Amino acid sequence: MLTKKPPALQSFLSLVSRHSSHLVRQQYDVIVVGGGHAGTEAAAAAARVGAETLLVSQKIETIGALSCNPSLGGVGKGQLVKEVDALDGLCGRAGDWAGIHFSILNRRKGPAVWGPRAQLDRQRYREFIQSELLSTPRLTVLEGSVEELFVSEPNPEEPGHHRVTGIRLANGSHPISASSVVLTTGTFLSGSLFMGQSKSPGGRIGDAPSSAGLSHTLRERLGLRTGRLRTGTPPRIVKDSVDLSLANVHPPDSHPTPFSFLNTHTHCKPEEQLPCYLTYTTPGVERVVRESLHLNCHIQEDAKGPRYCPSIESRVLRFPGRRHQVWLEPEGVTSDILYPQGLSMTMPPDVQLRLIREIPAMHRAEIHTPGYGVQYDFVCPTQLSPALQVKSTQGLFLAGQINGTTGYEEAAAQGLWAGVNAARCALSRPTVALSRTESYIGVLIDDLVSRGVTEPYRMFTSRAEFRTSLRPDNADLRLTLKGFEEVGCVSIVRYQEAVRVRDSLQDALATLQALALSTQNWRKKLPDMRMSEVKNSLLTGMDVLRYNDVSFEMLASAFPECLSHHMEFSQRLKIEAVYRPHCNLQKKEIERIQKEENMSLPQDINYLTLPVSLSHEVREILDRVRPTTLGAATRLQGMTPAAIIHLFNYVRRTGQKERRSHRNKPDQREERKSL
Amino acid sequence: FFIYNPIRLLVSTCDGVQVGLADAETIFALSSGHGRCGVAVVRASGPASSTALRCMTRLTRNLPPPRKALLRSITDPQSKEVLDRGLVFWFPAPHSFTGEDSVEFHIHGGPAVITAVLHALGSVPGMRPAEAGEFTRRAFQAGKLGLTEVEGLGDLIHAETEAQRRQALRQMSGDLGRLYQDWSHKLKRCLAHVEAFIDFSEDELIEDGVLNQVDTWVCDLQAEIERHLQDERRGERLRTGVQVVIAGAANAGKSSLLNTLCQRPAAIVSPIAGTTRDIVETALDIGGFPVLLSDTAGLRESPDLVEREGVRRARERVDQADLTLVVVDCAHLPSDAEQAATFLEGHLRSVLSPQEQSLLVLNKTDLLPEEQRLELDWELRRVSGLPPVCHISCHTNEGLQDFLAVLHRSVKTLCGDPLSCAPTLTQARHRAHLQQCFAALAQYQRYRDIDLALAAEGVRLALTSLGRITGHVGAEEILDIIFKDFCIGK
Repeated sequence: MLTKKPPALQSFLSLVSRHSSHLVRQQYDVIVVGGGHAGTEAAAAAARVGAETLLVSQKIETIGALSCNPSLGGVGKGQLVKEVDALDGLCGRAGDWAGIHFSILNRRKGPAVWGPRAQLDRQRYREFIQSELLSTPRLTVLEGSVEELFVSEPNPEEPGHHRVTGIRLANGSHPISASSVVLTTGTFLSGSLFMGQSKSPGGRIGDAPSSAGLSHTLRERLGLRTGRLRTGTPPRIVKDSVDLSLANVHPPDSHPTPFSFLNTHTHCKPEEQLPCYLTYTTPGVERVVRESLHLNCHIQEDAKGPRYCPSIESRVLRFPGRRHQVWLEPEGVTSDILYPQGLSMTMPPDVQLRLIREIPAMHRAEIHTPGYGVQYDFVCPTQLSPALQVKSTQGLFLAGQINGTTGYEEAAAQGLWAGVNAARCALSRPTVALSRTESYIGVLIDDLVSRGVTEPYRMFTSRAEFRTSLRPDNADLRLTLKGFEEVGCVSIVRYQEAVRVRDSLQDALATLQALALSTQNWRKKLPDMRMSEVKNSLLTGMDVLRYNDVSFEMLASAFPECLSHHMEFSQRLKIEAVYRPHCNLQKKEIERIQKEENMSLPQDINYLTLPVSLSHEVREILDRVRPTTLGAATRLQGMTPAAIIHLFNYVRRTGQKERRSHRNKPDQREERKSL
Repeated sequence: FFIYNPIRLLVSTCDGVQVGLADAETIFALSSGHGRCGVAVVRASGPASSTALRCMTRLTRNLPPPRKALLRSITDPQSKEVLDRGLVFWFPAPHSFTGEDSVEFHIHGGPAVITAVLHALGSVPGMRPAEAGEFTRRAFQAGKLGLTEVEGLGDLIHAETEAQRRQALRQMSGDLGRLYQDWSHKLKRCLAHVEAFIDFSEDELIEDGVLNQVDTWVCDLQAEIERHLQDERRGERLRTGVQVVIAGAANAGKSSLLNTLCQRPAAIVSPIAGTTRDIVETALDIGGFPVLLSDTAGLRESPDLVEREGVRRARERVDQADLTLVVVDCAHLPSDAEQAATFLEGHLRSVLSPQEQSLLVLNKTDLLPEEQRLELDWELRRVSGLPPVCHISCHTNEGLQDFLAVLHRSVKTLCGDPLSCAPTLTQARHRAHLQQCFAALAQYQRYRDIDLALAAEGVRLALTSLGRITGHVGAEEILDIIFKDFCIGK
C-alpha cells in the first residue's frame, strides 16, 4: 500500500471540480456531509460496502485536515485506529504514510494496553486521505454547504416518525436525493468561536460557519434533543523562535511500528523521524491566566469541556501551584510550526503571547496562529441506534463530534460504522452492530447510545471491560474476518491476509500445545529459564511461553524444526500465550452479554402505556433512552431486575403473537391465555 | 442492589438452547426462613448436587431413592466431622423444582448447624452460594413454570428480590455495610490510580509513585480482609449467643452456680450426687452479651441408665461449647497444694477436649482455710497452660463479682466488642465473596511488575466480588476518581 504515492493535491482538486460540474448526479445511495475524520471514513466505508456515495464538504482542500493536534493514536485511541484499520478504514494507513515520529506508549505495562501513536505531517495526512477517496470506486466528492435536509413521511413498514430523502445545497442548486444521509458536521453545528472577548459564528477558524438550516431541521423538524459542548485548540508557535535547548528531547521508537495490519514498515524511515520536546509551565503562566480571566469569555461560559484535555486556564484553576507538562510537537517534515500540546487557550492574542513567553523555552517565541475556543451543539446520542442511525428518522445517520465525542480516532471509528450501516440500509440489507465484548468500537458506540454523554467522550482502555481480550495485536482476528464475511466493508486482499494470519497462528499455537515435556527436560532445553516450581505433570510449550523470561525466539531456537517457520508471529504468539487463560475466564461473561445483546426490543414500543407491570420511574427511563436490546436495558441506571423480567416476557410474548399472526390462524384461546 | 442479572438464565429458553445446560454451576442456599427455628431446609441445585449429597452423607455407592426421605448423619467432606443428623432428599432432573438435579437437607434449625452445613457445601467443588431469586429463575428457565404463570412469576421474583433487598439494606446500613463500603471505596481508588497510570502516565505527570501507593493500599486491604475472614465466627456468635457450659464432677455445685448466675432456682439443687441428669438451659445477659448457659450432669461412671445418658449429653455439650466453666469442689482437693495443682491439671484434661476455652471455678471456697487457699493459688500460678482460676462460694456469694468480671472478659473476647472492634462477618454469602476478593488482590501482586493490564484486572475482579455485597461499580465512577485525583491535561 505504501508503494503507491498519492497524486498531487492539484490533480485531485481538478478531478473533483470536474465531478461537481458534470458528474454529480441527482440521486445517490448515501450522502455524507462533512469531510473530517468521521466523514471521510463514512464515505469510504459506504463505497466499499457497495453504495453509490457522495461526500459533500464545505471546502475540498480541508478534506482529511487535522484540525487540532498533529498526532494519531495513543492509549485507547490506538486501539480504535487498529480496529478501523482491521475493518479496512483509512486512518491507520494514512497514519503510516504521514507519521514522522512513531512510538508505542505503555510499552512496560502489558500488551493489552499498549498505545500505538504517531506524530503526523499534516500535509501528508491530508494528501493520503484525499488520494484514497479519489481512487475509491463509487465515491464522488462535491464542494458545497448543505442548506437543509429533505424530510418526508416514514416508510410504514419500518419504525420511525420521519424519513430523510436527500439534501439541498446552499448555492440554490438542484436537490440531491439519497436513501441514507450521514451527518458528520463536527463542531460546525451552531458553532461559535471564542477568542478573548470576541465571539463569532463558526466551527473552525478560517472556515465559513455551517448553515443554520441544518440545526433547525434537526431540532425543530425532527425534534432531536441537543446539548452544548466546548473545546479549544492551542496557539501554533513559530519553530525558529523557540529555544529547544531549554526543553527535554523525546526521541521516537528506533523501530517505528506501523498502525496498519497491511504494512510491514512506515513511510518515514526510522532515522528520518523527528523528535518531540517536553517542557513545563511556570508560576508566571498561572499569573497570566488569573490576570486575564475577565478578558476570557469562553472560560466563563458553562458549556461542558473535556476533563482530560482541558485548556491551560482550567488546568491552573483546578490544580493551582503545580507545574504542568507542555509537549512541543512537530507539525510536519517541512513545517516551520510547533504544536504546544497542553496549552489550549482562549484569551486575547496579546495575552496568549505573554503567557507562552512565561515558559523558558518560549521566552522569545512568536505565535503563528492564536489559540481559540469553540462551542457547538451535539445531538444527544441516546437517540441513536447501535447502527448510529437516528431512531426516529429513517435514513439519517450521525457520526463524530455531532454525537458528543472528541478525538480523531473516536470520530473515525463512528464514521466507518455509520457509513457501513448507511450503505447497508440504502442497499436494503439489515444494519449491523458491533458488541462491546468484541471491540473498542463496540464499547464506544454502546456507551454513546445507551448512556449518552455529559462531557466530550474520549476513549480510554479502562472503558473496555474486556480489554485483555480486545488487544491492539488481535484487532484483525476480531474484526477483519467478520468485516468481510458479515459486514461487507473489507476487501478480499485484506481478508485473505487475515485468514493467512489466523491459520498460521492457530497452527503455531497447536504446535506449542502439543510440545509437552517434563520440567527437567525443559530446563535442559532452555538453560536460561528460571523455573522455580517443580511440577510432576508435563508442561506444554504454551505453559512455558507464559513465563516472563521466556520468548518465542528462545523456544524456536530450541525446537527449530517445528517452530522456526512461525517466527513472523513471535510477538503475537507470546502475547497470546500470556493472555489466553485470562481471556478464557472472560469468555463466559462475554457470552452472557452477547446473548442479551441479541435480544432486540421493538423500537415502536410505547413504554408509557405498555400493559405490563412497570414502575413509573422505569417507564420513564425506558421511554427516554429507548434501549435497542435487552442487554442495553440491563445496563441502564435505575432499571430493576423485576422490570427486566417483565420486559423479557413481554417481548417473548409479542414475538410469539407475531409468529402466530403470520400463520394467519390466530388461536383466540391461546391468545387470551398468554395474555 | 446486588449485581443481579435475571435474564442471564432466561435467555437460553428463547434461543431454543437446551435448558438446564446453560449454567454448569451448582447453587445452594438456606431455603427456609432466617432466624432460629426447629427445622431448616438447605437446598442445592445443579450438576454437582449428587456429588455434594454423596460426600456429605458418606453415601459411597447408591444415591437415595428419588424423592424419599432418608435419615443420615451429615458430615463435613473436608474435616469428616459430623455436623448434624437430618433428613436428606434426592430429586434427580427433571423432576425437581428447578428441573435440575437437586438435593435438600432438612437439618436442625440452630444457626451454628446451618452455618456449618452451608460452609461444608461451599467446600464441594463446583458449588457456589445462590444469588437472590436464582432457584426460581432456574425453574423458569427449565420450563417448570408455564407461560400462563408468567405474570405470577414476575410478582414472585419481585417479592423475593424486594425482601432480599430490604434484608440486605438493613444489614448494609450498619457498621458492616460501612466497612464494606469503605473497602469498596479504597478498591475504587486503587483501581482508579492503576487506570490513571495505564491510560495517562505517558503524557501526564503521573509518576511511578502512584503505583507504590496502590501497592501499600492493596497490601493493607488484603491484611484487613484476612483478619476479617479469620474472625472465628465472632459476629455470628454475637447474633446467636455464646454457648457457655457448666461441667464438672458430681456434686461440685454446678447447679448452684447456674442458680446463682441466673438469680433464680432454675435447676434443682440437692446434696445428693447425680441430681442433675439432663441439660438445663437458661439465657443470660452478661454485661450486654447474650449467653446461653447450660448446666450438665456431673461427670462420673454410673450404673444408672438415665444418668449414663445424662453424662453422655454433658460430654457432647462440652464439645460444642464456646466456653466451659469447669466447677471443682474445693473441699475434695488434696490438702497439699502441689498435689492439688496436679490433680486439677488432670481433671481439666479429663473434662475438656484440647484447645477448648474454659474457666476453672473453685467452688465452696468458704470451706477452705485462707492459708491453704493462698498456697493453692501460688502453686496454680506456677503451672502453665491453666485457664483463669476463680474462687467462689455459691453459698455465701463470696468471689462472685470477681468471677463475673472474668466471665464477662471471656465472653467479650469470644464475641468481639461490636463498639470498639472492627465489625464482623455475619453471612456465609459475604464470606464467599470476600474470599474471592482476597484471591483477586493476589493477582494484582502477582502481575504488578509483569503486566499492569492483568494486575488491574485483579483489582477489577476484587472490586466486582466486593460489589456483589455492596453494589455495582461502573467505569464512569473510576474515571471520576481519576479526574479528581490527577491533573490530566493531554
